[in-house]
Amino acid sequence: MNAFEYATALSPDSARSLVGNQGAYLAGGNDLLGLLKDYLINADILVNIKSLPGLNKIEPGRRHWTLGTLVTIAEIEDNAGLAQAFPGLHDAAMEIASPQIRNVATVGGNLAQHSRCWYFRHRDTVCLKRGGDLCYARESDNRYHSLFTGNTCISPVVSSLATTFAALDATAIVLRNGKETPMKMDALYHRAWENPLAHNSLDPGDLILRVEIPTSRRSSAYMQVSDKHAFDWALVSCAAAADVVDGKLAHPRVALGSISPVPHQVEAANQFLNGKTLDDETASAAADMILKEARPLEHNAYKVPMAHALIRRTLLKLKG
Amino acid sequence: MKKPEEEKFGIVSRREFIKGLGVTAISTVAAQTAAVAQELEKANAEKVIGPGAVPVTLSVNGQNLQLQLEPRVTLLDALRNYSSLTGAKEGCDRAACGACTVLMDGRPIYSCQKLAIEAQGHQITTVEGLAANGNLSPVQQAFIDKDALQCGYCTPGFIMSVTALLQKNPRPTLAETKHACSGNLCRCGTQPHILQAVFQAAGVSMADKTEVIKHV
Repeated sequence: MNAFEYATALSPDSARSLVGNQGAYLAGGNDLLGLLKDYLINADILVNIKSLPGLNKIEPGRRHWTLGTLVTIAEIEDNAGLAQAFPGLHDAAMEIASPQIRNVATVGGNLAQHSRCWYFRHRDTVCLKRGGDLCYARESDNRYHSLFTGNTCISPVVSSLATTFAALDATAIVLRNGKETPMKMDALYHRAWENPLAHNSLDPGDLILRVEIPTSRRSSAYMQVSDKHAFDWALVSCAAAADVVDGKLAHPRVALGSISPVPHQVEAANQFLNGKTLDDETASAAADMILKEARPLEHNAYKVPMAHALIRRTLLKLKG
Repeated sequence: MKKPEEEKFGIVSRREFIKGLGVTAISTVAAQTAAVAQELEKANAEKVIGPGAVPVTLSVNGQNLQLQLEPRVTLLDALRNYSSLTGAKEGCDRAACGACTVLMDGRPIYSCQKLAIEAQGHQITTVEGLAANGNLSPVQQAFIDKDALQCGYCTPGFIMSVTALLQKNPRPTLAETKHACSGNLCRCGTQPHILQAVFQAAGVSMADKTEVIKHV
């Protein structure tokens, strides 16, 4: 790890000015220190944002709940009110990494984490995402990679919170150029869809302040499949959320992770599900729509039936 | 350790600051550690320090450690290479194996992926801090009694995770125990014995050790 300067910020504005254009915000540090240790990024200063006031709170509300960017994954896991309001979010938090990581990892850090593609992470390769001219995964071992992409890079988004927030239609509030900028999950990751160099749509110095989760979908679910039962990345993850009234879905949303550079959502499927009574046939028809455009590669075709099963199972977990 | 330079950081000179710390250095009281950290935070608030070594005070196993560390030094490095506390092990150095697990304010964390400078003001407990008056903690004793190790490299990390689990949940189920230990890897494959050790430490008698093996 190269040497860096260090400062503790006490307000978002001073954090922004301290971080400059070559610095990085430090919260949980799990992803950041890994990137620095492997020389994947350089930072001339680390600005500790854990003392920013008011950003470590979980606040219930009538229209939406607010999660401060510094709320840890363990705090989400342990919050009974949150588990009742958003069971899918609780289940997603429980499956993230390990207790040691959940105790320090934050909401903002989970959303802003960089690609886990093993060619991107490898010290000796300069892939497309690192500014090279080749996506090694396309022609090599792509068993963990995307079924969808808007560019040549096939590194998928791995934030399970992003998948869940997408299904819950949550909004991240980002401090950009001194202004609070609301970004839904599709906006927060759209740049990664278009640009192989991007992990998300954040500019240098952008700071996620909080996430607002609407209370309008009272039922939610999250499921993932991994190689290991615990402490593993999802091969495919799926979140679904809706209001279930008299057995019928109201404003349902489905999102998938680990199969696209963005949380994968198909608006037509959400509309198809709206007003429907849930059964396996309906869920299966929705899954067909969601996966219709999938472009599997040599080693990741297994993700298509896996995602199909996961969509059905996750939808059928939604309760009235 | 580098000789402190006479330069300003924060509102006090480095030397004055070190002298200030000396007063509290003999203390092992938690409240004073917090007070030092508050002073430190106030002095350093929004001031850029480093990249060279700066004074860092860590509270480890109830004792204050005064160190001169670059901001990039991890807590694991500070413990092992600057303080001779080699209980926490370096395995992957990437928050993936659990050998470096220590407790921060009672909760297990990976010390390899935490900067020492940001661990100031928190109570750090390493495996060296568990035995009291020469007596092993129940968890440590259970690991010996149940032969819960082979090479032993993962053992301090497991012991810290299990210690934190039992403090929060004195009678965990098998599923809860596995959830709590999921961030620690043992490549010798001693997990069945580790689970037995957890239940001994929790005061739960096992009907048959094959029960545990079957569920791992």
